[in-house]
Amino acid sequence: MRYLERRFVHGVLLLISVSIFCFLLSELAPGSFFDEMRLNPQISPETVAALRVQYGLDRPLPARYAYWVKSVVHGEWGYSFAYNSPVRGLLLQRARNTLALTGVAMALAWLLAIPIGVWTASLPGKPVDRLSMAGTSFLLAVPEIVLLLGFLYFVVRTHILPVGGMVSVDFDDLGLGAKILDVVRHLIVPATVLVFASLPILVRHVRASMIEILGSPFIEAARGHGISPARILFRYALPAAANPLISLFGLSVAGLLSGSLLVEVMTGWPGLGPLLLEASMSRDLYVVVGVVMASTSFMVLGNLLADVMLVVADPRVRTD
Amino acid sequence: MDRWGRITAIVLTGIVTSFASPAPQPPQRGEELLITNNEVGHYGGTLTVAQRSEPKTLNPVTAADAPSREVIGELNADLIHINRASQKTEPALAKSWNVSKDGRVFTLKLRRGLRFSDGHAFDADDVVFSFQLYLDEKIHSPQRDLLIIGDNPITVQKIDQYTVRFTLAQPYAAAERIFDGLAMLPRHLLDQGYKEGKFGQTWTLGTTPNQIAGMGAFRVKEYAAGQKIVLERNPYYWKADHNKNRLPYLDEVVFLFVGNEDSQVIRFQAGDTGVISRLSAENYLLLSKDASSRGIQLADLGPSLEYNFLVFNQNDLKGKNLDKIASAQAWFEDLHFRQAVSSAIDREGIVKLVYAGRGAPLWGNVSPSNKFWVDQSLAHPPRSLDHARELLKSAGFSWRGDGQLIDRQGRAVEFSIITSSSNAQRTKMATIIQDDLSKVGMNVHVVPLEFRGLLDRVFQSYDYEVAIMGLGGGDADPNPEMNVWLSSGGTHLWHLGETKPATDWESQLDQLMKKQMVTLKYKDRKNLYDEVQQIIAGEDPFVFLATPDILVGAKTNLANFQPAILEPTALWNVEELYYASPGGSRAGGRP
Amino acid sequence: MNRNRKVAIALIFLFGLHLAIFCAGFVAPYDPAAQNRDFPYAPPTRIHFFDARGFHFRPFVYELAANPDGLYQYDEARERDYPVHFFVSGPEYKFAGLISTHLHLFGVDAPAQVFLAGTDNYGRDQLSRILYGGQMSLAAGLLATGISLSLALIIGCVSGFYGSWIDESLMRLAELFLVLPWLYLLLAVRAFLPLHISPAETFFLLIAVIGTIGWARPARLIRGIVLSAKARKYVLASRSFGASDLHILRRHVLPHTYGVLLTQAALLVPQYIVAEVTLSFFGLGLSEPAPSWGSLLANLQQYNVMISYWWMFAPALALVLVSFGYLSVANAFHEWLQSGSM
Repeated sequence: MRYLERRFVHGVLLLISVSIFCFLLSELAPGSFFDEMRLNPQISPETVAALRVQYGLDRPLPARYAYWVKSVVHGEWGYSFAYNSPVRGLLLQRARNTLALTGVAMALAWLLAIPIGVWTASLPGKPVDRLSMAGTSFLLAVPEIVLLLGFLYFVVRTHILPVGGMVSVDFDDLGLGAKILDVVRHLIVPATVLVFASLPILVRHVRASMIEILGSPFIEAARGHGISPARILFRYALPAAANPLISLFGLSVAGLLSGSLLVEVMTGWPGLGPLLLEASMSRDLYVVVGVVMASTSFMVLGNLLADVMLVVADPRVRTD
Repeated sequence: MDRWGRITAIVLTGIVTSFASPAPQPPQRGEELLITNNEVGHYGGTLTVAQRSEPKTLNPVTAADAPSREVIGELNADLIHINRASQKTEPALAKSWNVSKDGRVFTLKLRRGLRFSDGHAFDADDVVFSFQLYLDEKIHSPQRDLLIIGDNPITVQKIDQYTVRFTLAQPYAAAERIFDGLAMLPRHLLDQGYKEGKFGQTWTLGTTPNQIAGMGAFRVKEYAAGQKIVLERNPYYWKADHNKNRLPYLDEVVFLFVGNEDSQVIRFQAGDTGVISRLSAENYLLLSKDASSRGIQLADLGPSLEYNFLVFNQNDLKGKNLDKIASAQAWFEDLHFRQAVSSAIDREGIVKLVYAGRGAPLWGNVSPSNKFWVDQSLAHPPRSLDHARELLKSAGFSWRGDGQLIDRQGRAVEFSIITSSSNAQRTKMATIIQDDLSKVGMNVHVVPLEFRGLLDRVFQSYDYEVAIMGLGGGDADPNPEMNVWLSSGGTHLWHLGETKPATDWESQLDQLMKKQMVTLKYKDRKNLYDEVQQIIAGEDPFVFLATPDILVGAKTNLANFQPAILEPTALWNVEELYYASPGGSRAGGRP
Repeated sequence: MNRNRKVAIALIFLFGLHLAIFCAGFVAPYDPAAQNRDFPYAPPTRIHFFDARGFHFRPFVYELAANPDGLYQYDEARERDYPVHFFVSGPEYKFAGLISTHLHLFGVDAPAQVFLAGTDNYGRDQLSRILYGGQMSLAAGLLATGISLSLALIIGCVSGFYGSWIDESLMRLAELFLVLPWLYLLLAVRAFLPLHISPAETFFLLIAVIGTIGWARPARLIRGIVLSAKARKYVLASRSFGASDLHILRRHVLPHTYGVLLTQAALLVPQYIVAEVTLSFFGLGLSEPAPSWGSLLANLQQYNVMISYWWMFAPALALVLVSFGYLSVANAFHEWLQSGSM
């Protein structure tokens, strides 16, 4: 328990350091949100300067940080200059969309990785295993960006799936079932890319972990007892092989809010990715800090979750 | 039908009609509608438009970004409007006006009997209130500066319930144009917030639709964050066609947020959206390949009013730690050097490679499509590397053995051109110019910078050598350009922050621009502005490059589509648009 | 296949790729920055063996002419054959940056041109750009990996060896680095840089920053190894003989890290190459006219390019090949080490 408490406190400290780091970075990047107006010959520099003052952009860094902390405590999480509203609403909306995407992709990846990993581990060297290894090698070698481009090209050429966005234009007129189907159709391209990007590593880890366990004496003993291979695999070997997989699972959860930036930006999925990019480019400071903090929180949570699960699942860890 | 049947029917009708768009109200007695002379259409249909980024606010007073203004434009109306096709002013909410002899006092008569989109009456109190908001120093509206003439804000006075008088501190040419785009706001909805000092937070995207009202053709129906905003017909809109059918014809307009131009094109091609504007030439080419089979019409409207140019940093760098740039300024300040650069640039190549041939080369700040103001007698010298080399020689430059250009002191001519990394066209221009200038021995680096970083260097730190930028395009009239050419202007990019003109020709420009601003007769103004153009072309503070054509597209069955060069190119007459074929209603009208 | 052979094959493949890219000047027929403004988006030049007179051993091409009807459409002028010659004289370049020469692997006589991978928006030969771009991208990957691993080695060793509060604080720092949004950091750094360093220097500085951020994960691995090595009996023995920390580190601990270092290197290089590609996608990459695979692929972000000009995908192929090469090497190393050590 003490161990978990420590990890929790430490996670909070980490979050605080990240927030400070973000603010420091923002100092480095030149330009502020209202600079765009300077390019309009019909707006005077004085108006732009006045707007900066109004939104507190001229105050020193510690003052702005203090404002932000206060805003977080009040539940607003900062104020967006661009959207003229608290960051909270924006963040929750977009986070929901991102989680829908990454959640589905993660579930699919794990649901596929475990059976494939277990199966190929039980038949090492056989054609199935070789095919799987070749497949995962290929997928590992192809960078996410190339996968994405390839997919987009294919989809755009064949018009099978919609490209871009989360819903169709006439979404509101659809019935509930059709609405769900619509979102699913839009989800397929980005989710598939995410699955392909994460699947190979998961499969390999499951396989490696299983192979190691399958070589241990107690499995041989189980075989000797005549227990069926399927039972051995799933009821004896897999639980024993779970340790590294649990950590990996925690890492998957950790990456739920941050791993899909590229995919979201390129397929137009309205999640945190495009929000972060646009806010970075337009120097919408509090939105950037908000998004970064959200993904960091997930990271910390994911790691913590992995630690908790490990403690629960593996008695050996508790003695630490 | 039995009792339950009737109740069900009533309930269902209620539900259905509450979701359906409001039908236009029949014209009331005493309502002075504006009668348009477009082809009469029929009611129905939804027009879907894709935007590259999300609007940020629905507040006309504080909005500054283009997507917000695009949506706001559909929801609001102004007193006097610039007809985008003819580029002349015409009556809008004000049915007539007269101007005093000295051009300083405008007395506008409002149309009677008009109502806001929530049914509330519109009158002079709303006008006075609106101008109060625009002029309020604490709100810092981007439009406030437009209303400051001769260092004094315009004064607004209510004469009676339908008459308002505006007084300017000095006469101002084409003063009616100021009124274009200034939305008239409902006092009954905004007064409270204004009095409480919370005006800046009103009418954000999340505001409930029934709290927002305007005089525009449409009103807000609903908003889905990050996805779209749906506008429905304003049943009280004050325009009607010549058969007394109240406009607009369309039931709904939907703005879809898609993120970038390519997504816009993909959606348009797929039939999801009904119009697309500001296409790049490549996408135009792509769409034209199968346009007719997809029921799409495309139009090339000729060169836009925007001008892209190279600007040399001639700012005063005293006290800043920018020695290398300061030494480069010795070259930039030499007229022959700038002229040599201008002569070496392959403008035709730029139009060909950057705009795929759909554009026009520029040698001045006024685009050839600006028929009222362009100086036809301006010279258009063809590209000549020899001429460039002669100019450089005459300025004391010479070439080393390896072809590198060196100045009198033997320094190699090397500099960087910064552009906005998000603007692919300007970055391409930079690449072409880099290649062109290498042929006369200049070593040029292209440095794409993130947009705000670019703005910071050009406007604040002056830490740059040469930049490629674009201005113009807002209106054809010269007045919006004042701040570019006045030596004290905020966008006098090559030399910002001048307390007095740094050169003779700049003080000449100052005089001419100030004079044309108060000259009321067009012919005289044109002569003055011609002189301005001649000076600019002769002194080359900007090396003008090219302007793209305005390329737009729409579904073939969208009738009354008359795109114009001025923004909003496709939607300026949205109230007149309708779907010709009965099948074209839902989802942008698939053919 | 026995393990050593696997390693050898993977290494040879990788070496071959690198050699071709190192000799970019020789293999590429044209200068990567040379613009042919009359031939934007020309498709790959067709190589022919048959003409009106029959079969020829030596391949040849036809000259391209712009089709007046359509933009970016070209026809072959079939009147004259232009045979492909090998070891020809072409545009001057500096081999290995030192020796000026005109010798190219292949080429055709003017006015015909052989664009084996087509041209881009400015009419520049894509094959030349892919080869020269490979130099930049590979250098970026190798440089960033070098920086990451050096940092990781130092920090991992110090952390694992000295333990206690040093270890705690360094590992906390590692966590911070793992969690940082590196894209935003890069945006900030990019915008902050002075203009007077040349674009190439800017690029490498950015890569150095990526490398510096990426030390955390390998550092943890190294730390793990150091920890287990530290606990070995012979280290204890060495200490009791009075060996200094440095000596122990060098002789007993470091050798154990080589395996991990090699495998990590083989894994990180392609990752960092991909990081460069991603940077270019967000406009932070190498600037004109110098090519890198990232800036070449960034062209595909334009919808019309992706749809109409399929040859612009070619750098993706190069990227996949290099990634595949490195990953095979990493796998081979990993297996080799598994069998060799323990």
